[in-house]
Amino acid sequence: MTEPVYLDYQSSKPVDPRVVEAMLPFFTERFGNASALHAVGDDATSTLDDSRARVGRLFGASPEEIIFTSGATESNNLALMGYCLRNKRKGDHVVISEAEHISILNTSKALESLGFRVARVPIDQFGRVSPEKIRARITDDTILVSIGWASNEIGTIQPMRKIAEMLTGTGVALHTDAVAAEGLVPIDMADVPVDLMTLSSNDIYGPRGLGALYLRKGVRVTPSIIGGGQEMGLRSGTEDIASIVGMAAAADIMVSEMAEETSRLAAYRDRLIKEILARIPHSHLNGHPEHRLPNNAHFRFAGIEGESLLLSLKDENISVSTGSACSSKTLEPSHTLISCGLLHEEAHGSLELTVGRFTKESDIDRIIEVLPRVVKRLRVLSPLYTD
Amino acid sequence: MKSTQYSEKTLDHFRNPRNVGTLEGDDVAVGRVGNPVCGDLMDIYVRVKDDRIADIKFQTFGCGSAVATSSMVTELVMGKTLDEALEVTRTDVADALDGLPPVKMHCSNLAADALHEAISNWRKGIKPELDTPDESAGCACVTGDLPITGIDELTGKGVYRELEDPSVLTDARTIVVDKGDASARLAIALTEHTPRVVFMTAGKEPAISDELKSELKRSDVKLLTESRMLEVKGELEVEKTLVHDLNEDEEYELVTDAVVLLD
Repeated sequence: MTEPVYLDYQSSKPVDPRVVEAMLPFFTERFGNASALHAVGDDATSTLDDSRARVGRLFGASPEEIIFTSGATESNNLALMGYCLRNKRKGDHVVISEAEHISILNTSKALESLGFRVARVPIDQFGRVSPEKIRARITDDTILVSIGWASNEIGTIQPMRKIAEMLTGTGVALHTDAVAAEGLVPIDMADVPVDLMTLSSNDIYGPRGLGALYLRKGVRVTPSIIGGGQEMGLRSGTEDIASIVGMAAAADIMVSEMAEETSRLAAYRDRLIKEILARIPHSHLNGHPEHRLPNNAHFRFAGIEGESLLLSLKDENISVSTGSACSSKTLEPSHTLISCGLLHEEAHGSLELTVGRFTKESDIDRIIEVLPRVVKRLRVLSPLYTD
Repeated sequence: MKSTQYSEKTLDHFRNPRNVGTLEGDDVAVGRVGNPVCGDLMDIYVRVKDDRIADIKFQTFGCGSAVATSSMVTELVMGKTLDEALEVTRTDVADALDGLPPVKMHCSNLAADALHEAISNWRKGIKPELDTPDESAGCACVTGDLPITGIDELTGKGVYRELEDPSVLTDARTIVVDKGDASARLAIALTEHTPRVVFMTAGKEPAISDELKSELKRSDVKLLTESRMLEVKGELEVEKTLVHDLNEDEEYELVTDAVVLLD
């Protein structure tokens, strides 16, 4: 078997070995509970404070603005549910985009069942949301706008600065799910006036099962988990110090390596896009040609179906992702691609390649060599492709 | 169980599908089932001699199980009498593949249906439709002129009854409704300004000159045949169109910024 090629960094990233090393002492030797008053507990407390500051530093946030959670889904729940429940006196209207992550879409549905109203702003064919279209949907009752910083799927980066500036002074809070963008584009809370931001540890090569919610000073939310009052009373439960240290170590690495890393990834991405579009006839790029995450190349190929493509590449020991319905549990194609205006049959033929920290030039060589052959074989099988 | 958790036998038929291709001749019938909208479309060709399946071929657009079931059904019925072949069910096909993931039992296990369709077409004397233009395409203009809900309300807000300057639709997801040669030329011209132009016609072929047809095929215009626009939707401006797929008799929404409907 040839060496495995992993091009699905958006779905899961390996934990950086340096992060694992930083975490290890906290399983065995430094196992304290941060709420305990003895020396072992004090070590945990100071480690927690220090980690909070290091995670905040990557995003230009103060330590007290970082709330650790069990992951991005919980952070999105705490942000949307927590903000709306806490601030319902001010209004009952929320604005999101049609291209949000499933955890935002489903939390929004839950908000509707609680009596809130949710407006969904359409995206353009490249997956972008326009600040003007958001503005047109804001009413006197709007309390929160939630727009993902970038799409985890097609890699389109949203005009967050413009959206944030448009909302400044309106009294409408802005939440962003920054999971797809963190570690790939500069995110600085001192620079872009976002009020709430969802973060995940694994997406910066930290451990799974940990995330964070950035809460700008003065922004109030209702707790998601009630108990002993940890995490400023917003997320109770004894802190997972080992994982928190892991996220802090991952943030430290990003602070020093992100610039070099993203330019390397962007070169891989550009090569993928250029060569695949050139080598495969009737292939198209999904997402935005410029406002695009440096790790994301997303295609569609006429006449073939994504799951077949994924299976064929699996046989070549290459791991990829697709927006096809046939690979999902619900058998619905990607809502993002449909919102971009694609027909179902086009969305079915999509392929998502995402590169990351441990991608090598030889991985790019392999997919560029294998993909045209695989697409060609599936097109021979297909009644929809004649050329 | 994951939707892609296939048996080794299914994977084998996916990797090395048997009897791929098409058949031609007076002794051939074809059955087509599925819908590219759902992600599956199968054509099964049978050559019939002395009431037996003398040869069988398939082409399939779809996921792993769609390809594997097509391949398996061709193996199961090769050489059988038509009556014997009609007894082969979806369950038989799935069993022969050592089972399919439950979620795939209904959506992509259509091969037996396509086979039955082919046999039924043979018995009715229906010959395979080749890719020659259908004479009946001309009647499309009649259905194409049915009223479209929302057109008047959204004229000037994304609905265009005339378009002098195509650059106003820069980067707009545009549907041009087939109104003959002028509309097709406009659709082609629009590809200079936006990567997303759909040319929608109710017929099996657009009602335009042959020269324009081939120009359209070479262009970046996405051709949607046997499709009729029922409604243009949007509060402040055009956001979506409701499309009737005349072939499948199904309706679906398409995200749209602009509709060009020349008078």
